[in-house]
Amino acid sequence: MSLLEIKNLSVRFGDANAVPVVDGLDLTVERGEVLAIVGESGSGKSVTMMALMGLVDAPGIVRADALRFDGHDMLSLSKRQRRQVVGKDLAMIFQDPMTALNPSYTVGFQIEEVLRAHLGLSGRAARARALELLQKVEIPAAASRLDAYPHQLSGGMSQRVAIAMAIAAEPKLLIADEPTTALDVTIQAQIMELLLALQKDQDMGLILITHDLAVVAETAQRVCVMYAGQAVEVGHVPQLFDAPAHPYSEALLAAIPEHSEGAERLSTLPGIVPGRYDRPHGCLLSPRCPYVQENCRQHRPALDPKAQSLARCFYPRNQEVA
Amino acid sequence: MSVVLTARELTRHYEVSQGVFKPHATVRALNGVSFELEAGKTLAVVGESGCGKSTLARQLTLIEEPSSGSLKIAGQEVAGASKEQRKQLRRDVQMVFQSPYASLNPRQKIGDQLAEPLLINTSLSRAERREKVQAMMQQVGLRPEHYQRYPHMFSGGQRQRIALARAMMLQPKVLVADEPTSALDVSIQAQVLNLFMDMQQQYQTAYVFISHNLAVVRHVADDVLVMYLGRPAEMGPKEDLYHNPLHPYTQALLSATPTIKPNPDKPRIKIAGELPNPLNPPSGCPFHKRCPYATEKCVTDVPAFRPVGTRQVACHYAEQFLKP
Repeated sequence: MSLLEIKNLSVRFGDANAVPVVDGLDLTVERGEVLAIVGESGSGKSVTMMALMGLVDAPGIVRADALRFDGHDMLSLSKRQRRQVVGKDLAMIFQDPMTALNPSYTVGFQIEEVLRAHLGLSGRAARARALELLQKVEIPAAASRLDAYPHQLSGGMSQRVAIAMAIAAEPKLLIADEPTTALDVTIQAQIMELLLALQKDQDMGLILITHDLAVVAETAQRVCVMYAGQAVEVGHVPQLFDAPAHPYSEALLAAIPEHSEGAERLSTLPGIVPGRYDRPHGCLLSPRCPYVQENCRQHRPALDPKAQSLARCFYPRNQEVA
Repeated sequence: MSVVLTARELTRHYEVSQGVFKPHATVRALNGVSFELEAGKTLAVVGESGCGKSTLARQLTLIEEPSSGSLKIAGQEVAGASKEQRKQLRRDVQMVFQSPYASLNPRQKIGDQLAEPLLINTSLSRAERREKVQAMMQQVGLRPEHYQRYPHMFSGGQRQRIALARAMMLQPKVLVADEPTSALDVSIQAQVLNLFMDMQQQYQTAYVFISHNLAVVRHVADDVLVMYLGRPAEMGPKEDLYHNPLHPYTQALLSATPTIKPNPDKPRIKIAGELPNPLNPPSGCPFHKRCPYATEKCVTDVPAFRPVGTRQVACHYAEQFLKP
């Protein structure tokens, strides 16, 4: 059984007829696996994870055929039961480390809080464990940092503290939502290396949400490309980068400056991601797709698991002729 | 080709209060930066937050006065220029900011915002201004009906197009772009970068392109200036710098940049630690605390920014890294 299994997840805001922000999403994560979710702003990456954590409030409506994590049915858990899972077995790191920490408590207190709530540690034991965690995330002079307030730390240090809090209860699945977007490249490299080392060390599942394909290429084993609320392609990492099947994955890769080295112009996809109220009738990419056919404008393709590649496209690219 | 921008030993220090009864401390945000820029060329400035990139931009756009050093724009020395001359200089240097959400006035129509530079700096009639604005809007890929709209009706990419159009209205000689695409998605970033390149080709504007994204810089730049803690670390033609980085900091930056074609055999240069406190910079070479090759000499002597091959490097041991 997979560690995480999401089947046909949809999230709407408003009433049941509202346009879904996440639509028919299937996703699985195994223990010890690094899965990346890539997509542009508004593609539904973060909302998917919010739904999993139970953080979508009214008027949001979460529907799914299955939302199973480690044997729990996340949809039917009571709030009390959910609190015992979230933060313990399922933890999350957010994009902005400066706002993820509470400015009025010391770093040590905030880490100890996790230990008190989930592991029942208190007093000296909690403090010793908190120190150990700070050392684990490679914070220099960890003992003196326990009494520091978040404003006394740099962005990279704050992100390390956020990671220490997330791994405090040794979660089975860690969700990192753009963990390095707010950081400089050298710090980004340090944080990614740390995350991967911890992931290997504790055999965690790691979901890495990002818009940076280069980070994906260097860290993930599998990747799910999202566009306007749908998964358009799911694949293994070197393959998807070498031979993307969906025109959107292909276009995303082509738009990276590194891809068109030496060229005068970057290859672009015209237009922007459709909003909630101007979704096209057929394939969601059809107004922007360079290979669009009449069929694409009429019908919406499905993500067919039996097809050669897992791409939501009638005419997938880079298919080898059998 | 004519040189339109010359900076010599440009320096900017800030006084920072340490408390009521303590003396002021000095932050050397910009410490002796020199370069020349020709019309139609792009100089990219890269470095981590706090390295002085944006301070440099503020000096170049005459938002602040440099503490010392000289700045020449289109042959005109900035220090000691008269009020009239400064007004002309300001026309010649324009800027595009990082956040397209904060840099446009939310209460003014796009057409009026684009016409404002013309209203202030030229004596064109209302109809002529409108005509020019419409022409520029078409050039940056906006539709005529957008003239009457407000900034909140546009996406981030479109707003950055508007910001670029506004900067180009007076056909400046120099355009300073401070992280113009870092708030945008990849596919939109590609559209906006293409637009920057098209505009440069048409108007032969010199660009100072500030960015921390080395992949983007590699696409747009002719020359690259790498900065560290307010000082230049390395400057030179793009291809040389990317193929054979001489300063250990440049090497580390390039090595830390993720790539879509990872090469597992290539060793990662690890650089430990973070940018030192600019109030209390390390002695000697500012990079020595994080440098894997640092020696005794690096701790005591500040390396000069000196020519090595096709480039200028501030490292005592730059020659050792030079590939034949």
